[in-house]
Amino acid sequence: MTDTWLVTNLRAIRGRAYPRVIGSKRELSWLFFDITLPLLTVSAYAYIYKYIQAPDEFVGFVILGGAMTAFWLNILWMMASQLYWEKEIGNLQLYLIAPISRMSILAGMAVGGLFMTAIRASATMVIGVLLFGIVLSFAQPVMLILIFVVTMISLYGMGMMFASLYLLLGREAYHLSNLLTEPVYLASGLYFPVKALGFWAAAGASIIPITLGLDALRQLFYPGSGAEYGFLSVNTELAILAVLCVAFLWLSKYSLDYMEKLGKTTGRLTLRWQ
Amino acid sequence: MAVSHDLRTFKNAAWLGWQMEANWTDPFVFATYSIVKPLAGSLILVFMYIVITGGETQTPFFSYMFIGNAFYMFVAEVLFGVTWVIHDDREHYMTLKQVYIAPIKFYTYVFGRAAIKIAITTVGVLITLAFGVIWLGVEIDLGAVDWLVFIPALLIGLLTILIMGLALGGVTFLTAKHGMGINEGIAGVFYVLSGVIFPITVLPGWAQTISHLLPVTYWMEALRRGLSPDLMASLPGSTGLSDFSNLEILLTLALSTVAFLFISTAIFRYADRTARRKGKIDWTTSY
Amino acid sequence: MQSAVEVKGLTRVFEPKKKKEGKSVTALNKVDLRIARGELFGLLGPNGAGKTTLLKILSTLLLPTAGKAFVAGFDVEKDFTEVRKRINMVSGGEISGYGLLTVKENLWMFTQFYGMKSSVAKQRIDEMLAQFGLADKKDEKVRTLSTGQRQKMNVIRGFVTDPEIIFLDEPTLGLDVNASRVIREFIVDWVQAKDNRTVLLTTHYMMEADQLCDRIAIIDDGRILACDTPENLKKLVKMNRTLKLDVTSLKDTSKFGSLTGVEQFTFQDDAEKDQTHLKFILTDDSAVTEIISEVQSKGARILSLQKTEPTLEDVFIKMVGKGFE
Ligand SMILES: Nc1ncnc2c1ncn2[C@@H]1O[C@H](COP(=O)(O)OP(=O)(O)OP(=O)(O)O)[C@@H](O)[C@H]1O
Ligand SMILES: [Mg+2]
Repeated sequence: MTDTWLVTNLRAIRGRAYPRVIGSKRELSWLFFDITLPLLTVSAYAYIYKYIQAPDEFVGFVILGGAMTAFWLNILWMMASQLYWEKEIGNLQLYLIAPISRMSILAGMAVGGLFMTAIRASATMVIGVLLFGIVLSFAQPVMLILIFVVTMISLYGMGMMFASLYLLLGREAYHLSNLLTEPVYLASGLYFPVKALGFWAAAGASIIPITLGLDALRQLFYPGSGAEYGFLSVNTELAILAVLCVAFLWLSKYSLDYMEKLGKTTGRLTLRWQ
Repeated sequence: MAVSHDLRTFKNAAWLGWQMEANWTDPFVFATYSIVKPLAGSLILVFMYIVITGGETQTPFFSYMFIGNAFYMFVAEVLFGVTWVIHDDREHYMTLKQVYIAPIKFYTYVFGRAAIKIAITTVGVLITLAFGVIWLGVEIDLGAVDWLVFIPALLIGLLTILIMGLALGGVTFLTAKHGMGINEGIAGVFYVLSGVIFPITVLPGWAQTISHLLPVTYWMEALRRGLSPDLMASLPGSTGLSDFSNLEILLTLALSTVAFLFISTAIFRYADRTARRKGKIDWTTSY
Repeated sequence: MQSAVEVKGLTRVFEPKKKKEGKSVTALNKVDLRIARGELFGLLGPNGAGKTTLLKILSTLLLPTAGKAFVAGFDVEKDFTEVRKRINMVSGGEISGYGLLTVKENLWMFTQFYGMKSSVAKQRIDEMLAQFGLADKKDEKVRTLSTGQRQKMNVIRGFVTDPEIIFLDEPTLGLDVNASRVIREFIVDWVQAKDNRTVLLTTHYMMEADQLCDRIAIIDDGRILACDTPENLKKLVKMNRTLKLDVTSLKDTSKFGSLTGVEQFTFQDDAEKDQTHLKFILTDDSAVTEIISEVQSKGARILSLQKTEPTLEDVFIKMVGKGFE
């Protein structure tokens, strides 16, 4: 094996991403369930705004938020709890004896999950936009992409960190994921501008990358709404997101190393049914 | 004999459900958990509302929305719970096949697990309503409640969603891991179309036609009429069901429940057969 | 050349999850072991003896509580990255991979964790699938495989990355005669094909250990009780080797009792069938040749011959004091 460390790990990432990507192609039932059905919740909220005669951009806000939920659910159900299930299946120990960085396994999962979820989220967006006749602005494409990329890296970095921590929880992981659904939708302002929570609550919620990411995207898609509904300026939000990015990647590496060490000492890392 | 057997299965399943739902932690954490989730769900609506109205919550529509949303928790939780039972047993514990081949009625097993879910959700619903009444001025006056409408409506409605849960459980046999979207989704159908958080009159005409076919639409209307009769009288505009008397609403609810019982059983049977024919009972689809 | 595996005073204690409940378990107790390159080494021991624990430590999944373990000359505790580059592991009954991938995709995925070039990996996978008679299954989903097919796939997964040292934890668990034979033969061929390849395997099948292994360690309760070649291990049991012969009627039996290697001799004439039954208790197998030539020199013919000798199972039962569950 003369390949460099980098090549080896890139191959590992590709290897772990593969089943996710191919999986979404093979089990087509998700197309129906994961795209059409979430649109319903989004529509419900959109209709409330219509009923109470909210300004037009609110329907757009809700659709953007609905698309974001796809990523959050992917983090909870397919990143955070994944290492735990890999352990239960027996894959974890095979990953651990492989001569690669453990981060590559997590990164592979993230890349695969991100790819799959991006499709689902774009579909939600496109259909929602068509259904409700929304007009979005693409005046700042570079900034849009930048915000999206930074948000996703920090979000999936957070997911990678959760993946290690969830190993500690075992069976209880399900409850945590379940708990982190509505409260996070609330805190991150997925269906209303997060500014409404008040400065300190919104600032606290900013630890979750989708909060600022979504807020920035809304400001970019609806230029001019920022002054009234935006939480911080887009540039500030980008800067904070960049910090979160580094922080979560570092934390995920740290917690993974910690978990592995703990597992090797207690012998529980490779045990099933714990 | 057969009945006592079913009863035992039901009790065991309920016990198992309780173990899984509640026994994973100490009571304090469990209580917090059971309260935080429903409250957060309701607060999303509260914030949506006050962003637009500038903080005003003492309006009939706010109460309408808040009450509907609180009871909708039953729909979401039970539908989610029942499908999760099957998904979880199959993908994660690989025990679905054991349960499945055990000489018990699978229905009874699923009902038992769902019953516990209902019990736990009831607490969440009560707390949410109390929160709404005390802090947000949601209009419920215990003295004014029309119990003769409310109690029958509650019971029939719960039965209905249990029955629907079963059909969804059957579909879960056939769907892959993604199928968890079912929960989100089917529940979403009711959320949009059943007048849960806004009157169905705001929907396009074709959608309103579907609304009239869904039991949850009548359930929501009946619950609100029973719980807060004055509110319903003062709500501006029609809820789309104003032509129905209380009795008519209850009867329609009961009838649609019976109809769904047949549909659900058929779906479950079909899914069950197909799953066995295709050998999907013990498949896992993780990736 | 350094040893493939070297273990010194290796101890592993499992503490209970909560301090107050349960006792700690000593899964390995001051184990010393040395496995040379090129060896096919077996670990035999009852359930809970500590075999899997040893394999986990050697494959960098678990840390020792005390003592040292080296694999390919590297400390499993400190130089785990170097160790991992040189090993792989297969366990019986494992359900690795993802049910929704095909056999080939699944195997390919695991090669990627070893940084193998895709084209090389795919070619090797094809070859190995053919070798195991799984070629026609390569595009089937993993979840449709039978237990035996699945285990063959697992074995391929372990070997396809061409490790220097492979750990096999009950690789033929639950397999039929045919499938286990394919796997056993593969293992033997594999070790012999290059001289730096080493296998460490655990098994509960005595025959398997006897046939396959160059050396065997018997382990019980975290301790190694004996470690030697199967032949030498069998010598440890002072169990009588007996030889029974039926020959055509033999008049002169005087010499048999004094042949070297014969401890005891009895005979019985069967006048009806015109035969003689001879029974020997031997201390040395070499006596067999002399007995036969003695029979022939007296002009008798051998009608049947039955030799019993201690099996590995006898050794095992004697050492461990209990049979297999
Ligand atoms: N992670 C762990 N935590 C606590 N105890 C453990 C753990 N792993 C193994 N043990 C205990 O250590 C002892 C040795 O277990 P091990 O799995 O090594 O046995 P084994 O020889 O592989 O047995 P088998 O033949 O049944 O596979 C057993 O008593 C077992 O209960
Ligand atoms: Mg073992």
